[in-house]
Amino acid sequence: MPDARMRTFKVVRVIEHAPLLKSFYVDAPFAAEPGQFVNLWIPGVDEKPFSISDLADGLLELSVKGLGSFTRRLMDVRPGDWLGIRGPHGSPFRLEDNSVLVGGGIGFAPLRFLARRLRDAGLKHRVAIGVRARDDLIFSTELTGYEIASEDGSVGELGRVTGVLEPMLDAARPRAIYAAGPEPMLLAVRDIAKQRGIPAQLSLERYMKCGVGLCGQCCLDGPGARVCVEGPVFEGSALEGVTELGAPHRTASGRRPTRAG
Amino acid sequence: MTDSTAGAPTRLAVVVAGVRLASPLVLASGVLGTSASSMDLVARHGLGAVTTKSFSLDERSGHKGPTLVAFDHGFLNAVGLSNPGWEAATAEIRAFKARSDTKVIASIFGRTAEEYGRIAEHAASAAPDLIEVNVSCPNVASELGTPFEADAAVLGRITGDVKRAAGAIPVSIKLSSNFGVIGRMARVCEDHGADAITAINTVGPGMIIDVNARRPVLSNGAGGVSGPAILPIAVRSVYEVARAVKLPIIGTGGVASAEDALQLVLAGATAVGIGTALYEGLEVVDRVNRGLESYLAREGLDSLDAIRGAAHA
Repeated sequence: MPDARMRTFKVVRVIEHAPLLKSFYVDAPFAAEPGQFVNLWIPGVDEKPFSISDLADGLLELSVKGLGSFTRRLMDVRPGDWLGIRGPHGSPFRLEDNSVLVGGGIGFAPLRFLARRLRDAGLKHRVAIGVRARDDLIFSTELTGYEIASEDGSVGELGRVTGVLEPMLDAARPRAIYAAGPEPMLLAVRDIAKQRGIPAQLSLERYMKCGVGLCGQCCLDGPGARVCVEGPVFEGSALEGVTELGAPHRTASGRRPTRAG
Repeated sequence: MTDSTAGAPTRLAVVVAGVRLASPLVLASGVLGTSASSMDLVARHGLGAVTTKSFSLDERSGHKGPTLVAFDHGFLNAVGLSNPGWEAATAEIRAFKARSDTKVIASIFGRTAEEYGRIAEHAASAAPDLIEVNVSCPNVASELGTPFEADAAVLGRITGDVKRAAGAIPVSIKLSSNFGVIGRMARVCEDHGADAITAINTVGPGMIIDVNARRPVLSNGAGGVSGPAILPIAVRSVYEVARAVKLPIIGTGGVASAEDALQLVLAGATAVGIGTALYEGLEVVDRVNRGLESYLAREGLDSLDAIRGAAHA
């Protein structure tokens, strides 16, 4: 059962990867699996869901890019400040041997945790990361052996992550593909995996409120699956009947904006 | 669409204000009621009806987070009546009706008493099986003032307006226990033409303060209490309403087991809401249905009608 209580923790450490790209650490007296997320509360500000980017030595790591009003406010949080956490929530990745991990931008965060667990379990895996520019990478010194693609060519190969993914799949012939990042990337990876008959596990994002399967805010049109409970990690096959993939997400009101253009 | 359950009556079927429900269990408003898909996700487990999240004339984003937090005996929530507005909400009702045989209840609310008639008209256009009127949300007082249920004159007017707008669709007024007058107010609703009473809304509101952050956890500060903590309050409230009026009651509050549901039926409820308990898994619906079945079998009863209100004897 998910934990919907609020627990507050003192931030013990903050790492700045770039001015608007940071990792935050709190002591975590709880277990979590890669792919799960927590609801993060900045007291007096708001609460938003974030994938766990690592959990080791009793420290929970959340890696966040300052994109919206909440995440920009989070960039001001320093060691000693209190943060609230509800969770961990959601269904995790299933660990497989001989896999390929595909991350897009800060969407790579849950795959960092997954890579650690695969490594610890001695399971063979390769990683491909796509970013806009070098500044979007977290823990760039730890990415030895990873394939990287950037849209501006400032790091790795010029282009999208799918460009480095396909040769990797040809070489590795993996038994599983894990993907986390922007939805267009997820759908591209899903299609590639499907063509090759490789099972894919995709981590989806939706506007969430309760985080524990009660409010219905994040239910996927079609099967109704709750991204916060049945997800955020879905098997590619479980998304077959979903009618909203690639469409604008429902907003806080529950309304789905009409597609621009 | 044909009612797939009509040919196979079960012992669990009940009739609320002329609406036949295959099970007395009704999805409570505010839980998984945002879309046709979310309602169907839980309806498939064996509900008699689903209730939409309350909707209004205009789109509302609701409160900032946290909007929900657990404590030892239940939950507090203050979502702030977020909803996409009546057009999108009624589209979801139509979509639900197109894909499910489960009955659907449209929950409506107004920012002002005057709005209720217009919203009811919009709700009726989607032909829900019942319209539930939320006059008792305890989480928007700072914006909208004291809930309308607290004022008999206002409550009577809203009930009458909604009834006129709803046409042939039955209307249930959702009351809370928060003002100590639920029996008297239920009678006001009955006098103004209501077809049913839904009792109760969340309780309090309550508050949880984080001792480290030294501030309330919910962004709204206060939030309605739900879950196991409020079951006895729901039972007493239904008991009181059953004494006050002859209307059928949708008893709601803290139900997580067949025994909880039976308490509400014995207090006088015809149907029973289920909401917060879904936190433990949607299978709780199947489990409560099975528990009700075996209770009826054990007692040699054909339906829950035989024991409704029996605690009043």
